[in-house]
Amino acid sequence: MNVLELEEERSELASALLAAMGEGADRIWSDDRFNALALRVLCYQARANPAYGALLRHRGIDPSRLTDWECAPWVPTRAFRELPLACTAPSPPEAIFRTSGTSMGGQTRGEHRVRDLSLYRASLLPTARRFLRPELDAPPASGPAAARREAGTIPGAHRAEPALRVLALTPSPSDLPDSSLVFMLGTLAEAWDDGGGGFFARPDWSLDIDALRKAIGQAQEEGQPVLIAGTAFAYVHWLDMVRSSWLPPLPWGSRALETGGYKGRSREVPRHELHREIASTHGIAPDHIVNEYGMTELLSQFYEPASWQGEPAEGESTGHLGPPWIRTRILAPVSLQSVRPGEVGLLAHFDLANLDSVSAVLTEDLGVQVQEGFRVLGRITGSEPRGCSLAMEDLLAARRQGL
Amino acid sequence: MSRFEAFALPPGFEPPDVSDRGRGTDRNPGVGAAEDGGGMLVVRFDEAGASMLLDRLYQSGELLARRGVRELATILGQVGARFLDPRDELRREAEARLPAEAGLGSAMARRVIEGMARDWSEERLHRLLEEEFEDPEVLDGLRTSRTGRHIAATGGHMAFHLGAGNVPGVGTTSLLRSLLVKCPLVLKPGRGDVTLSVLFARGLAEVDTAVAGSLAVIYWPRESPDALARQLLTRADRVVAYGGSRVVAELRSQLPATTPLVAYHHRVSMGAVSREALMNASEARRIADAAARAVTLFEGHGCVSPRMIWIEKGGAIAPEEWAAMLAECLAALHVDWPPASPTPADAAETRLMREAAEMRIAAAGVGKLIGDPGLSWTVLLEPGEPRLEVSPGRTVHLHPLESLEELPLRLKPLSSVLQTLALEAPEPRKRALAQALQRSGITRVTTFASQPWPPSWWLHDGSGPLRSLVRWIEVEP
Repeated sequence: MNVLELEEERSELASALLAAMGEGADRIWSDDRFNALALRVLCYQARANPAYGALLRHRGIDPSRLTDWECAPWVPTRAFRELPLACTAPSPPEAIFRTSGTSMGGQTRGEHRVRDLSLYRASLLPTARRFLRPELDAPPASGPAAARREAGTIPGAHRAEPALRVLALTPSPSDLPDSSLVFMLGTLAEAWDDGGGGFFARPDWSLDIDALRKAIGQAQEEGQPVLIAGTAFAYVHWLDMVRSSWLPPLPWGSRALETGGYKGRSREVPRHELHREIASTHGIAPDHIVNEYGMTELLSQFYEPASWQGEPAEGESTGHLGPPWIRTRILAPVSLQSVRPGEVGLLAHFDLANLDSVSAVLTEDLGVQVQEGFRVLGRITGSEPRGCSLAMEDLLAARRQGL
Repeated sequence: MSRFEAFALPPGFEPPDVSDRGRGTDRNPGVGAAEDGGGMLVVRFDEAGASMLLDRLYQSGELLARRGVRELATILGQVGARFLDPRDELRREAEARLPAEAGLGSAMARRVIEGMARDWSEERLHRLLEEEFEDPEVLDGLRTSRTGRHIAATGGHMAFHLGAGNVPGVGTTSLLRSLLVKCPLVLKPGRGDVTLSVLFARGLAEVDTAVAGSLAVIYWPRESPDALARQLLTRADRVVAYGGSRVVAELRSQLPATTPLVAYHHRVSMGAVSREALMNASEARRIADAAARAVTLFEGHGCVSPRMIWIEKGGAIAPEEWAAMLAECLAALHVDWPPASPTPADAAETRLMREAAEMRIAAAGVGKLIGDPGLSWTVLLEPGEPRLEVSPGRTVHLHPLESLEELPLRLKPLSSVLQTLALEAPEPRKRALAQALQRSGITRVTTFASQPWPPSWWLHDGSGPLRSLVRWIEVEP
């Protein structure tokens, strides 16, 4: 297949995906629908992505003969640090997102070269809308929410969407163009913010406490609901800073998105405690605080939805859910086959939004199936070695000293 | 398995009333016991209890100082020899408990006990004294040296030895060193090394209550230190620690500036096979077998375990062929020394390491990955710029080299964490290569066959094991 044919195939696939994503993240896809698209994506990636194509050939797999996407070879996230995993493209990537590099002692940062940001936007927006603003898709209601919905709608949005001011506890997209999380929050702000929000961390992730405090006061005065969004460690810093002082409660309808690990940047707080503290500090209903699970290597995200009907019992998880264009398997490390329900395994995701890199991504996270979704139990790396032999992390630290 | 007391207190220091959890008894206020997650009984101390124990150990130092060092070596060696006798009660209990405690298969556990205990025998302890001191009796009092100086060596009033990890026997070797230099101690063994040190202390109490009175072996979970842990940091005048960089750094920050700390932080060992050693198949196979044993022993957890092997090109046996030989030997050892099931995290790490390696090999078009389907062992050969990587368990990374003379340069980035190099090369090349590595950070050059078992007098991470524990006094004329 020549380059032109490959580009044509890519263009057809991208259009099909954009259209499918446009139907919304709350649609239920049949297995056949997902499988058909996934197999096409696989065949494209086998041809267009040299590293992935080499792996398939190495294993003697002819992608055109596959009938089940689950038979595709998985690519471990660490391969994003070691190999160029982008499909060949006629132009440079629109963005290069980099991992924070925490999982392996910061030796090298993984790179996700994103040819086409419109696929990322098309994936993240409906997903965020489904899990962060489920009331938008609820049947029309009367009352204050409906009245508010009338005001400040966003032109061109999926449906008439009232503004939701975005206060991000991260650096801004211009300060940190290689962060996929920051890009995601920037996209949410473009879509939902009424112009009053912003990014309240400096490029080194330290928070501008005064500015954030001021923004919260202003939202309260204006009665403008906000979305506070940040990493767990940013919340811990923020809550520690404001603990001894009073903050005005955020307007009704405000919500919080919390994501990511701590990466050693703050003390660690169990998630339900952190959410409780966010709720009490900001007057946000506990069921309006949502955890997001995403990674640089994936252009789709998962959310652990709060029930929106009441606080789930402590420690009880509804599981992380994603949009229909990503599917998750929990794999036994030994066999790389799906574990039985309730067993712990490695989380593996097949993300159609990753059209231009690789879709079958094997993570370093252990997880377990919970209801319809999965619960993340944590990273496998970074645990203390159990002997006197050196762990990979120490070895990398030594290399940095020695080089 | 019955509840095992994860402690051995000095004889006569009443053990806690285990039915009175955590509160102590009338006779021993502030000493109590609780059960840790693994089903062991863990003794807990409050301030008064800890203070009593440390006072007691401190005082025992006077008695210990009056014993001759040769006599001490004999007494300690008698206890150590019990672990070499398969019929002995201590040995049997060690064999029964070790597999679960240290995550080793039974056959491997037996091999580890025998290998470690060999160095605890009377003969080896006397040899240790002789290798360490020109005149071991400097530990008994002033002696006149060969050059006419009047000198004596002392091991301090009370030491705190802190183990981490699950290499069995490390704690026992450490307590022997302290007692040989007549320093009473509290040993906190690593979670996977409780049995051998507790059993040794029990055996010592049967032989000599006075010497046993200078020793307390006490395990506590790292996340819940008690008053004893805190008091030790201020009262011990010698601290010896085995642990990762984080453990060592934390300990350093907590100790008074005047307390000497001997830290054995985690290290990496490796192997190097010269082209001369790969000139015929039988020799190459013999080396592969010894290398496989070194990789397998301690399940890769030992600081002496080779995690990567450099292979020189140009021999009759190509690196790829030798990799296949090594894989066959690892497969055979999988039968002789079956591993305990890997933890989910280790299995996952091995899986990810293999998947990533396979991608690199596929992309580069060269290299070889050989491993069993159960993820128990892996041989990974990658030509090109070596990726300095360590992986869990029985995994070894092979790096082909044009010439072993490149080693000093290749090892430079790792100099702060290097330890043993098994160097398979004929003389005089071996000596020349070792000489070139003198400043590399490698502190021990040996063969694969000897790699897992350094003798008790080895220069542990570059220092004499007893000499690093003593302070000298000189009386000038």
